[in-house]
Amino acid sequence: MLEPAALFQKSDVTALIRAAQEGDQDAFEQLVRAYDQSVLRLAMNLLRSPEDARDVYQEAFLRVYRNLPAFRFDCSFHTWLYRIVTNLCLDHLRKRKVRKEEPGVLATAEGPLDRMDATPEQRADGDPQRRLFSGEVRTRVKEVLGQLTPRERTVFELRHYQGLRLRRIGEILGTTEEAAKNCLFRATQKMRVALGDFV
Amino acid sequence: MSADITCASVKGSLALYLYGELSFDDEERVELHLDACPECRVALDREKAVHAEFDRCEIQPPPSLLRECREDLRAQLDEERSMPRPARVSWWDGSWLRPAAAFALLAIGFFAARVTPRYTSSEPGASRVRYVEPASGGRVQIVLDETRQRTVSGRPDDQQIRALLLAAAKDSSDPGLRAETVNILNAGAESAEVRDALVYALRHDPNAGVRLKAMEGLKPFAREPGVRGALEQVLLSDSNPGLRTQAIDLLTVGPTENLDRGIVGTLQELMSREDNSYVRERSQQVLHLMKASAQTY
Repeated sequence: MLEPAALFQKSDVTALIRAAQEGDQDAFEQLVRAYDQSVLRLAMNLLRSPEDARDVYQEAFLRVYRNLPAFRFDCSFHTWLYRIVTNLCLDHLRKRKVRKEEPGVLATAEGPLDRMDATPEQRADGDPQRRLFSGEVRTRVKEVLGQLTPRERTVFELRHYQGLRLRRIGEILGTTEEAAKNCLFRATQKMRVALGDFV
Repeated sequence: MSADITCASVKGSLALYLYGELSFDDEERVELHLDACPECRVALDREKAVHAEFDRCEIQPPPSLLRECREDLRAQLDEERSMPRPARVSWWDGSWLRPAAAFALLAIGFFAARVTPRYTSSEPGASRVRYVEPASGGRVQIVLDETRQRTVSGRPDDQQIRALLLAAAKDSSDPGLRAETVNILNAGAESAEVRDALVYALRHDPNAGVRLKAMEGLKPFAREPGVRGALEQVLLSDSNPGLRTQAIDLLTVGPTENLDRGIVGTLQELMSREDNSYVRERSQQVLHLMKASAQTY
């Protein structure tokens, strides 16, 4: 998968970081815009709550802003940013596990939105029976996503939806590629079992 | 994964197989097993169906949310910038500490050199012992074959970098490497050389993820004969229904009246052999739009 800042050459991102480190506000804003859509998408998919996703977005980029002067290119900016974002999301997920909350309906400026209804219905439009079936599958996926551990869920989201390699996911989560692979394996096993009757 | 692979272990590996996350050897074993085992091929189709369901469950944040987040962040940053930064006092700022710290670093270096073994290899790379022979004074002489890793960097269109990327795109040992390389090459697909590499990947890469990425890069060139031929091959023989569907979309992009009628024959041939209901449905839609029948008579 292309990195979120795919429109930028790596050297451009480096130049933006260096300029932002020297206090160039436009450079920082460009840096945010290069990555913020994928950050929001990741937070939204993991947390399924616009409020929580918005909190993570704010906190992540504020942390980037505050700590950018100390960024020494020991890892890629993308890895560093995603490490911040996934840590914040994991904190939210763990707190939520304790509270046993799992918001299913999203309140957005466009009105209430079910997570699963937010996804484009690509194939079932013309067939009511199939639409009903797809709805059931999505409900089941939603349930099982809520049953994954925060780490399984994070690895799954990063691999399946963000398209990151397990090696990179390991770097982001501060673990080995092998551990990330085990996590993904467990997550997909659980999902497959949950979808057993449907596919 | 052991050499005597079982259906159970293949089925357990299918998710990682589809993600292109198996080692080369494991991927090879799974594919060999799949070639010979109809039951596991059914399991693979099921796994693909599960993946397709996951794909449908991805959420896209509403544009208004992104807008609001950006506005909030801008306000927070303005606030942050208007606040005086606290003076940061670190241990290094104390000028009296500098000579002491410098001395300490020198001392650490000196003693570390004294206690470290004479031969250490911290260079990245692989080494293999070729010869071992006794040497004078009770020492031993070892001849190593070493492969040193080297990092080169440059723009993707630099000649040397491009040559390395084109070679990596065909590296059969690592589907992850090929996928990342094809991703990078996609940005330079206006070059015929790169396009050829993408067409090669689309036609021959064993990993569906890599083929899909190559197809993304070739999208703007779908009307070129070489690309078109590769897309038709995908349509008629690729094992992945997602890729077959995308091939239909790319081959039929644009106003119906401008479409090459040659596609009708390809789609009719597809209809005669396609099992996947969605691909059939999509193909039928296009044939209907082109006022062509689904069958040949």
